[in-house]
Amino acid sequence: MAEAVANAVSGYGVGIGWRPEIAGFVAGLPGLRFTEVVAESVHADGDLPAGLAALLDRGVTVVPHGVRLSLGGADPVEPARVRQLAAAAERLHAPLVSEHIAFVRAAGIEAGHLLPLPRSWEAVDAMVANVKRVQAELPVPIALEPIAALFDWPDDELDEARFITEILDRTGAGLLLDIANVYANARNRGTDPLTLLDSLPLDRVAYVHVAGGAEHGGLYHDTHTSPVPQPVLDLVTELCARHRPPALLLERDGDYPPARALTAELDAIAAAAGSPRVTA
Amino acid sequence: MTNTWGIPGTTFLAYYIGTMAAIVVLAAIHRRILFRGPRDVHVDNLNPQQVAYLSGGERLAVYAAMGGLRTAGTIGTGPGGTLVETGPLPPGATALDNALDNAARRGVRARELHDDFMVVSALDQIRDGLERLGLTVSPAQRREARIWGFVAGAVTLIGAARLVIGVANDKPVGYLFVCLVVSVVITIALLRVKRRATNSAVRALRTLRRSHDHLKPSQSPAYATYGVAGSAMGVALFGSASLYAIDPAFAAEAEVTRVAAYGYGDGGATAGATGSASGCSTGSCGGGGGCGGGGCGG
Repeated sequence: MAEAVANAVSGYGVGIGWRPEIAGFVAGLPGLRFTEVVAESVHADGDLPAGLAALLDRGVTVVPHGVRLSLGGADPVEPARVRQLAAAAERLHAPLVSEHIAFVRAAGIEAGHLLPLPRSWEAVDAMVANVKRVQAELPVPIALEPIAALFDWPDDELDEARFITEILDRTGAGLLLDIANVYANARNRGTDPLTLLDSLPLDRVAYVHVAGGAEHGGLYHDTHTSPVPQPVLDLVTELCARHRPPALLLERDGDYPPARALTAELDAIAAAAGSPRVTA
Repeated sequence: MTNTWGIPGTTFLAYYIGTMAAIVVLAAIHRRILFRGPRDVHVDNLNPQQVAYLSGGERLAVYAAMGGLRTAGTIGTGPGGTLVETGPLPPGATALDNALDNAARRGVRARELHDDFMVVSALDQIRDGLERLGLTVSPAQRREARIWGFVAGAVTLIGAARLVIGVANDKPVGYLFVCLVVSVVITIALLRVKRRATNSAVRALRTLRRSHDHLKPSQSPAYATYGVAGSAMGVALFGSASLYAIDPAFAAEAEVTRVAAYGYGDGGATAGATGSASGCSTGSCGGGGGCGGGGCGG
């Protein structure tokens, strides 16, 4: 199962997250074979976001990336949200979907962003139960993305790698590895990112997120609004040396730079991964 | 009690309305032919300022240039709505870009740009270029189209004369008055020929707009990513609202007014607001059938 997820986007090279703001730039990438769209912006009925249909017609694989399911919440996932994710996958003919190992609401209160789970057995159980509920409804496999955490919960029972592996093992889900998060977490905890990388099930990686961040108040924030720093690119190289992921995707969510800067970032990721350039 | 000019009121009104309706229909047909433009036109090679001129006229062409130069960091606003130069011209600057940059160095007020001698001459160049390509309606064609306005005006005068005589002789003239009001509106509409792009150019613009969907202001385009040309093209294809999306403070301080792009937005209302459209060219002359329906007696 996990193998199937990893193969779902095999050989797609480097992609970039589709956002309405840069739709014209994404559409202009001649070698693009794969992109990601926020799942909540794709509706079962109604029009696809402008420009996305043209990419699909071109044969570009579009993966819906959920951000609002709250898989890690103690409550069961909301069925309507699961149906919406499944509908998005069908609408896009996506080979897989992805979501986060996180929660965005608890006891009916919306946090508005992704919050890290305490790494307890209880949290694993809740997460696994929700993932299985989602898998039962989904027409395609799911990949799960651990999020960056600026802090650790005091009652953590498992280390990060064990926590992730446990969830993947019990659900058969793939891993959406955010390499910038690996860097951010290691840097903020003062640990070696390679140690975490080596302890993760890299054969389960469905695809990889690459993003930029910035340091504020001594902590590195995975903002997705800055250029990808060199240490993150180096980690991409380290990752590919250990186990080549099927696809890498640049996430840029704001403060969009001139096209040539984005092009240079995509080329730098391709170079770091030893993949062909998608920009020419 | 004899009929004015020996014609009963209902008969006169029937002929009057019929004549006006015929004028409207003939004007619409004439304009369709007159504004047709060459069969195959291409707008893909035009620069954004030319596209802006075609879709929204001189004002939009200036706004498109302002959008590009703002993204390039060439111009900003100073006190009192003046333009100031804030950086170098981007590579590939056009005559209009140069004119705006020059005006910015002289501290010209943004809303007076359109009267600036350098800007006027750059706009003339754009207009001449588009006319040579067969994309715009020539002044001669506009004059020709206006003929139907004079015809409608003449018919209106006949109606007015009958109204005066009718009033003098104490005849009921209520319906005739209503018809006159409508025909004055029709006359004015037919005389106001502000059409700029030929029909084939309008179609080509529509295709161009579709392929530049990503520049629609509702997409909140990342203008920094799309660069100078993308920013200018956004204004050209989607109107001055794009300039507010590029830099709201700049647009407000430069007193940028609403200029819609022809063929984009809320149909007739947009066309009316730009003043670039002639309602009759689409066969929908306002008020054309206003006093039809057999209601006009008198």
